[in-house]
Order: sequence, then structure tokens, then C-alpha cells
Amino acid sequence: MKTKVLSVLSLATAAFMFVSSIISLILHPTLNNIATIWQTCLIIMIGSISLSAFIYRNMPLDKLPWLAIDIVFDLAVFLMIFIGLLNPDSIIRKPFGLGASFDYDIILSTLILVAGILGFKDSINILYNFSAKGQEVMVFTAIRLTAVFALLILGGILFVIIYEGIWAINWEFLTTPHRRLGQSGGISTVIVGTIWMVLGAMVISSPLGVGAAIFLNEYAKSYRVKRIITIAVSSLNGVPSVVFGLFGLAFLVTHFGISLLSGSIILGLINIPTIILTSQEALKSVPNSLREGSMALGATKWQTISEVVIPSAMPGILTGLIMGVAKASGETAPIMWTAVTFTATPMQMMYGIIPNVFQPVNNLDYHLLNLIYFLGAWDVWTKAWGTALVLIALVLGTNMMAILLRNHYRKKISW
Amino acid sequence: MCPSCMGLSKTGLRRRYKEHFVETLLFLSAITSIVVMILIFYYMIHESLRAFATIGIFNLLFGQKWHPVGDIYGMLPLILAAFIVTILALIINIGVGVPLAIFLAELAGPRSRALLKPAIELLAGVPSIVYGFLGIIFLVSYLQDSYYMLTGRSILAGSILLGIMFLPYITTISEDALRAVPSEFKEGSLALGASRWQTIRYVTIPAASSGITAAIILNIGSIIGETMAVLLVVGNVARLPSPIFNIFAQGATFTSVIAGEMGEAAHGSLHYHVLFAVGFILLIVVSILNIIADLTRARIRRKFGGY
Repeated sequence: MKTKVLSVLSLATAAFMFVSSIISLILHPTLNNIATIWQTCLIIMIGSISLSAFIYRNMPLDKLPWLAIDIVFDLAVFLMIFIGLLNPDSIIRKPFGLGASFDYDIILSTLILVAGILGFKDSINILYNFSAKGQEVMVFTAIRLTAVFALLILGGILFVIIYEGIWAINWEFLTTPHRRLGQSGGISTVIVGTIWMVLGAMVISSPLGVGAAIFLNEYAKSYRVKRIITIAVSSLNGVPSVVFGLFGLAFLVTHFGISLLSGSIILGLINIPTIILTSQEALKSVPNSLREGSMALGATKWQTISEVVIPSAMPGILTGLIMGVAKASGETAPIMWTAVTFTATPMQMMYGIIPNVFQPVNNLDYHLLNLIYFLGAWDVWTKAWGTALVLIALVLGTNMMAILLRNHYRKKISW
Repeated sequence: MCPSCMGLSKTGLRRRYKEHFVETLLFLSAITSIVVMILIFYYMIHESLRAFATIGIFNLLFGQKWHPVGDIYGMLPLILAAFIVTILALIINIGVGVPLAIFLAELAGPRSRALLKPAIELLAGVPSIVYGFLGIIFLVSYLQDSYYMLTGRSILAGSILLGIMFLPYITTISEDALRAVPSEFKEGSLALGASRWQTIRYVTIPAASSGITAAIILNIGSIIGETMAVLLVVGNVARLPSPIFNIFAQGATFTSVIAGEMGEAAHGSLHYHVLFAVGFILLIVVSILNIIADLTRARIRRKFGGY
């Protein structure tokens, strides 16, 4: 009973040390006040762990050295602060010639973090009598903490962009072109350019991607042909975006110049594997009985596919296409040298509806890249955040549409 | 008239031609990927040939200096920095991503899973330029202030950013692999008296290991090939770090050098061709990794039949 109270006490202390040291590592405050609290924590930790180990009757002897090591570590940290070996002026300057120095705050927080983790381990072990159950609790806590940590980071990314970017968004920002190197004005030409380029990419990639998926799933009879095409698709999927940029520079720019057309073709090629893979999944999920039923009624193969198979697989195919839109709007490297310009260029239209495909255009990603380069030199802070928010809204909005569509039909369709 | 068309009416004949026409069109769209792959390889080789011929393959790959102004090109600094960045990013990636996958697959309740899974998938779509932007504003300034670095733009910053950036990918694929493990495996282990953690540790993870391995290999490819985020935070100074393990130094990877210097390289100059050579090496490395990942995946399919 007494051990239980003691280990709960040391557990709470360990948790406090863990959380506070992580916070101080990240926020990097001056540690005048909290150092005293941490010293108290260390004392409590040493006392409760050694006391509970002392009271505890069935202490497995082979675990004792580990406890001893942890207690010695806590004691060493405490003494280092107490005798002033570790004081607010201490700093490890460029150890081993590394390009960084570690000051009091960092060293102390790290030591306390380690002490907290060790204390947590020992208290759980004592609480659960060094059983497998204790191990499970420990690992599951660690996994949960990691998950929380990851989700905090990922959620923080979204929060920060929305929080900082929302102040830049207004009607003028969305409807006027940028002026004075992006310092004033808005991003209208940038949005229009991005939309046209992504549209062009979809015009190129959707028929090719969906057609390839239909061929692979419905027509290809030879295993070898199928295998070769599949390998080509997966290697195309893995080609780094910057290599696509180089390819476009060498191949397309020599023919079409730096233009909307080159950019659309490159983005279209990047999209093809995504569309093929998702469409194939969708086609695979259409049951054979539907095909056989249609064939039995005398329909030809293409009639069956166009009237029965494609409509049934439509939600899945659409999901793939929407994901393609999101992917194409988020790429920077492939279009940097092939399609874009930073100067505000309004889209020239031919016959009022078709854009002139041989002109360079503005693009959200490239615009943001340039604003980042200007950050220190010119006052583009809010404009950069605004651009990032619009970009994120565009990409995540389309992605969310795809995910919702997929989940909706996954629930609804039951063959 | 072909023998097989004998006895067909006129409409039947037209139908048959239409069928053939459609099939040919679909076949052509299916081989687009092959054609594009061949074109990419052709153009990368074609444009980088001059660099290999002028400098020599060995000197280009293992030269210790990268100095475009003096037309001195050695890729060793790039290879080393890319290697360090990839390893460190992968450690962060696996250390956070795999536990997150275990959490989603084994520990999370159905409702939190229904919320978290789409959220993580959604985050996979955040453009890399946005990660670079946030990396510059938060990560670089944090490192610079906290560790008294000359500049926060460093190999370490690049590694952390890439490690976080590819979390969603490794999590989704690893989670799928963990879920694909038949529940009979787990139930058998639990029935034998193993705890939940022992089951995960000794049954689920080993059974899903090929899937997780494939996810990791794919991620290595993505990390090496990532461009914009790295370009912005890694400092883009192609110099061998001294000492060699100095992760607080500025560095330059394959991708950051290409993206950073292509804008300044005159078309047709040696610099231009060398950058293509860097891209070609990158393409080879990533392709090899992709093939390995593909083979690993094929192995799981054989092992579990359909998973």
C-alpha cells in the first residue's frame, strides 16, 4: 500500500518533469525559477524511489542495479546544480568542433527530461511489480504520447497557417494583381494562372490515366504486358519532381518555350500514376457479375465497359482525379523553369475563352517561393502568409473533397 | 474482307471496327507511362553525357569540391549531405510514424480513428513549399537562437523538416500493413495468454514487417527526391561539413543544388550539364529504391495471399 502511494507520487513528479522540460526545450525561457522546482522534484524522486525499493519486499535482485543507476543519475544532476557546476552561465561551446553551442537552459532541460523518463520507467515498474503488465503500460503510454506529439505538430501546422494568413485575406487581396515585387496588391493573376495550369494538367492526365487503368484492368490479357506497364507506372510515380523539372527543361521548353503548355504537360505526366492507381482500385472493386450480366445481354465489350463498368466505378475514379488536382496544385520544382514567371501577367485569352497556352503564367507555389526569398529584404510578411493560406485552402479543400467522396461511397456501395 | 468478319452485317462490322479502335486507344494511353519513362531517361542521359565526358565519372561522383564559379564539380559533398539528411530524417520519421501507425491500428477507438485517419491523409497533401516556408520561419530561427548557430539553415533543420513532412506517408502505409495482419494471428496469441503489447511486439509487427519495410524504402526515395522544403532550410552550401558529422553545418543535397543553381546556370554551359548529371544520379538512386520497395511488396502478397 505504501509503495503504491510512493510510486504514484514519483509518477506525478516524473510526469511534471517530463512535460515542463519539453516545454522549456521548445520555448527556451530563462530557467531562474523553475530550476529550484526541478531540484525539489529530483529530491522527491530520489526519496520516493529509493524508499519504495527499500519497503518493497519481493524486489527482484536483477532489477536493483537499474534502479541504482537511475537514482545515481538523479543525484548527480541534483548535486551538479547544487554545487554550482551547472549554473546559468555554464555553456558547452562547440563540442567536437560542431557548429552549435549548448547553454545552461538546453543542458538542464535535457538532463531533467532524461531524469523524468527514467523516473517514469521506475515508478511504473514498481507500481506493477516489474511484470509484463507494467511493460505494456509503459509502451502504450509512450506510443500514445508519440501520437499526441505528432498530431500536435500536424495540427499546429494548419492552425498557424490559418491564424497568420487569415489577416491577409480580403476582397482586394483575391481580386487584384500583385505590385512592387509582391509587397502590395493581391494575387489574382497568380490564382488564375494556377487554376488554368492545373486544368490543363487534368485535361492531359485524366484521359490518359483513366484509359490506362481501363486497359490494365479490362483488356490486358498478357501477364507480361501488364507487369511491364505496372512497373513503368510505379517508377514514374517515384520520379522526383525536380527530375520532372529537368526533363521539362530539356524536352518541352525547347519546343514550346517557357509556357502554360509546358507546365500543364509536366504536371499532367506527374499526375498520371496517381490517377491510374486509384482508378484501377475503383475498377477492381466492380464485381464480375455486372460485366457478365451485360455481356450475356449481347452487349459488346466496350459497351459493357462504357455503360456498366465505368458508371459503377465513377466515384473511385473521380476521387483519383480530384487527388490529381490537389497534387498538381502543390508542385513547385517541376514548373520553376518550365512554365512560370514572377511578374504579374494577366492571362491572355484567344476568342475570349481559350487561354493563350504559349505564354508564361503566374503560379501560387512559385509566387510563395519568391515571397519567401524576399522575406528579409522587403515587407512581404502578411502577403506570404496570405498566399500560403490560399494555397493550403486550395490543396486541402480538394483533398478533403476526395476523401469525403471516397468515404461516402465506401459506406454506401455494397454489391 | 477478313475471314472472321464473314457473315456479319454492316452494323456488326462497324461495331467491330469501333471495338478495335477503342482498344487501340486504350492501349496507347496505357503505354504512355512506358514512353514517358523512356523519354525521361533518354533526355537525362542525353543532357548529362557532356558532364560525364568532360569531368569523368569518378571525378564527378567523388570529387570533394563543388565550386560552380571555377567550373569545379565534385558530388561528394552532395552525396554526404543527402545521406546524412536522409538517415536523420528517417530516424525521426520511423520513430514517430510507426508508433503513430500502431496507435491508429491497435489502440485508437473507432471514433477517434474515423477522425484521425482522414486528418492524417489530408496532411499528406500539404505542399512542400509550405513546409519550407514554416521551416524557415519557425524551425530555422529556433535552431539559430537556441543553439547559438551562425545560421539556423543546416543539415539538421533539413532533416527535422523532412522527417515531419513525410510522417503521413509512413503512417498510412504502415497502418495498412498492420491492419492487413489477419486477426486470427492476434487472437491466437492473446488466447495463449500474451498481453496486448506482447502480441503487437511478437506477432503483429513481425507479420507486418514487409509492409512497413516497403513503406520505409518508399519514404527513403521520397526524402531523397524532396526539393522545395530542403532547398529553403538546408542552406544550400555545397561544402564538406567539418568535422564530417557536423549536422549543424550548412549543406546541399542533390535536389537543393539542382533547384538552387539551375536558374543561374547558362543554357548549354558545363554547369547546366552537370546539374543534369546530378539529376540523373538522383533518378537512378530513386528508381533502384522503388524497385526494391516493389519487390518487398510483392513478397508480402505472396506471403499473405492478397494482402
